[in-house]
Amino acid sequence: MSDLVGGDGRTHIHSKLMRESLQNKSVLSNTDSERDLQIFPDVTLVSIGGQSIFDRGKDAILPLVDELIELKKGNKHKIVIGVGGGTRTRHTMAIATDLGLPVGGMAQLVGAMEELNAILLNTLLAPHGSMPMQRDHFWDLPLYFAEGITPIAISVPPYHFWEPPPDEGHLPQHGSDFGLFQMAEVLGFGQIVFVKDEDGLYDKDPKKHADAKKLPDMTLEQLLAVMPEENILDQELFRAWKHAKNTKRIAIVNGLVRGELSKAVRGERAGTVVTK
Amino acid sequence: MTAERKTLQAHVPGEYQPTAVMPDVRVVKIGGQSILDRGRAAVFPILDEIVEARRQGIQVVLLAGGGTRARHIYSIASELEMPTGVIATLGKYIPMQNARMLQMLLAKHGGLYILPDDFEKLPLYLQMGCIPVMSGMPPFGYWEKREEGSRIPPHRTDAGVFLSAEFLGSRRAIFIKDEDGLYTDDPKKDPTATHIPRITAQELTARGLPDVVVERVVVEYLPRAQWCKELQVINGLKPGQVLAALKGEDVGTIISA
Repeated sequence: MSDLVGGDGRTHIHSKLMRESLQNKSVLSNTDSERDLQIFPDVTLVSIGGQSIFDRGKDAILPLVDELIELKKGNKHKIVIGVGGGTRTRHTMAIATDLGLPVGGMAQLVGAMEELNAILLNTLLAPHGSMPMQRDHFWDLPLYFAEGITPIAISVPPYHFWEPPPDEGHLPQHGSDFGLFQMAEVLGFGQIVFVKDEDGLYDKDPKKHADAKKLPDMTLEQLLAVMPEENILDQELFRAWKHAKNTKRIAIVNGLVRGELSKAVRGERAGTVVTK
Repeated sequence: MTAERKTLQAHVPGEYQPTAVMPDVRVVKIGGQSILDRGRAAVFPILDEIVEARRQGIQVVLLAGGGTRARHIYSIASELEMPTGVIATLGKYIPMQNARMLQMLLAKHGGLYILPDDFEKLPLYLQMGCIPVMSGMPPFGYWEKREEGSRIPPHRTDAGVFLSAEFLGSRRAIFIKDEDGLYTDDPKKDPTATHIPRITAQELTARGLPDVVVERVVVEYLPRAQWCKELQVINGLKPGQVLAALKGEDVGTIISA
């Protein structure tokens, strides 16, 4: 027990952070380095949009499921799937707003809506090998991959009742896009593919503006300089990516066009690719 | 084009008018390094005052900080270049131990260990006269964001206490530490330093101090909170301060939105 240090009324354990204030900037910077440990670099996270895909029903979902089954053949790709909640999430927010529920209450509620999409997807994929993954059971992933089972992850981050007050407005700032990004980042996944219903990122919402232009492949830095006001992905994802060390590639592809998802998973050009 | 999006448009929300969930609850943090690592000499008198407040009908929810064991695991994990989300996950365990210790001490007075999702059961526990005790660490875990230039999770137990108070609709979050709050300078080094009874988050930020009394994110969130507009930092080593704060008196330093 020689590591225990007393003398000021408190009992410390000897460490570099002993007695230090974890608010002190120079103490904090001593904990940092150029890189973060990358745990699963050969994994692709595939996020399937709620409003863009699932809310369109069978005609959009089944071709994508076929493509995923095709991708699973031969067990060549390590894939984790996440899903969005779509219009039911927005409806929940509308009612919760009217009721004046606190932001943490809203954050606690919304996850249930995307879970419905996760169950739908798993019901269709299970005969070909898929399983819903419990919240943070990441250490089961090697087992899933070895057995050719595709895990379907929970997308919304577990901020729940503790969702911080947002920069603006009263809605939770940490949604599914951010949640999936953060999971891929902390586990050091090789890339993220967002499957939506547009051919990539646009300078404005192509559903509202006929003259919207598709953005070319670019770096995160370039994208941040021209960041569109209306974006198919949450701003919080890009804010987090700016400070992140692991994630190098995010592709946004059209899930209504057969083959786009497969190209992106194989690392080929598809949709809009943003790199860091 | 494939099938249309089937969207729900049944409801157009009115203007947002926030509803407080449990505004009478006092959300109180017992510091890790500042109180719990001091052991019995510091902890027992504080718990006596909390029990007394509860006896007087004040509803208290207690949250525990981490302390030196958290610093120890953060230090080792940082050397191993673990991502912040992994470090935040490791950081959950120590406040949980501390909360359990407090529960064992408070059990005979209605101390109850609760999990993050147990907020929905608080009305029952508080009506029964219990003192719910939980970890102060927010449940972000692997989803904790990285900050520029640091590996340490920015949301730790101060943030958890503030965010709990904010969710519950409590006006003030109380932090029991081992100092009287803020001074114009370090009173241990400068005898002319004077105590600051009240300061705004903006004034505190404007001072640009290399070190602050509560986690930076809390000072950042305070101005945009709907409910929790004040942080009260009190000295738990001084008899009477905890009970006074629980009764709503302005002891220690109050940082306001």
